[in-house]
Amino acid sequence: MTVEVQIESYLTALRLHLGSLTIVEREEIVREINAHIRDSAEQSGSSVEAVLARLGPADELAKQYRDGYLIRKSSRSISPLVLLRGALRLATKSVFGIFVFACGLFGYSSGAGLLVVAFAKTIAPAHTGYWVQDGRMVGAGAFEFGHPAQAHEVLGMWIIPLTLTLGSLLLLLTNYLIRTSLRVSQHWQSKL
Amino acid sequence: MATQRALPVLDEQPDRWEAQLRKGVLEMAALASLWQGRLYGLEIIRFLESHSQLILAEGTIYPILNRLKAEGLLTSEWVEAEAGHPRKYYSLSDAGRQRLRLMTEAWSSFANGVSRLLEPVFHAAEKDLSAGTPILERQEKQ
Repeated sequence: MTVEVQIESYLTALRLHLGSLTIVEREEIVREINAHIRDSAEQSGSSVEAVLARLGPADELAKQYRDGYLIRKSSRSISPLVLLRGALRLATKSVFGIFVFACGLFGYSSGAGLLVVAFAKTIAPAHTGYWVQDGRMVGAGAFEFGHPAQAHEVLGMWIIPLTLTLGSLLLLLTNYLIRTSLRVSQHWQSKL
Repeated sequence: MATQRALPVLDEQPDRWEAQLRKGVLEMAALASLWQGRLYGLEIIRFLESHSQLILAEGTIYPILNRLKAEGLLTSEWVEAEAGHPRKYYSLSDAGRQRLRLMTEAWSSFANGVSRLLEPVFHAAEKDLSAGTPILERQEKQ
């Protein structure tokens, strides 16, 4: 293998493993590593092979870039999906990440569940609500058929604004929690 | 037999711990290398090697520079060189200078505290060395 082929194949592998970054960022990284390989080989007088060995495998190098990138990108996002992906990446790194991911999953599903209740009330009003019998809750939620006949529903149409507000608050709170955790973790990560 | 079993533990543990330690200060070290002016990646590596034997592998510094830049602590520019290809030079931003000052304060109070803590150990080790008894052997005997 000639020197050029060696360098090109390393850079191609690097480019491939940096796939999730934007093309501008990816090319900037590849350009910088390309310059490093040539400078390092020239200045230290060592072979390109030795320089590449010192750099480490292309996929390992790409992984170090990608980890920082995904967590950084998702900490700026407001999309629950992107945030959850970031939290999932964090969960592969630390117990704190697993906790954040679990809270995120719980927060989003509960929030979405509350919104579903609000929606269900508009299409199945008789089977959506909050039922009470002798002062105790005996049934709550959407499309509910299991409550005893004597139980009565207490919220009526108020359940719609109530669940909409609670659901939205919960979703916003979860977003805030994950974003904050991702930001905080960036500083930790850089110190680990 | 006891020596053979004990040695790998004593040899390997400090190494891994030391690697973690180096990794932990690498961000601060990268910022510090730029205190006096702009450098490109390989110059930063050489600077850290010559001033502090701090580099783990050459690849580690680039993702760190990338992250520091994304955090706004560094700025970068491409400069044409005689080498035939442009080089990416990094400089400290104002935020980077500020961060490095804070890190330096935290580091020096931390390092002073730890040094005080280790002083008796350090002196004992020095005494052992001057007495010609390797620390390992002494520990074995105890």
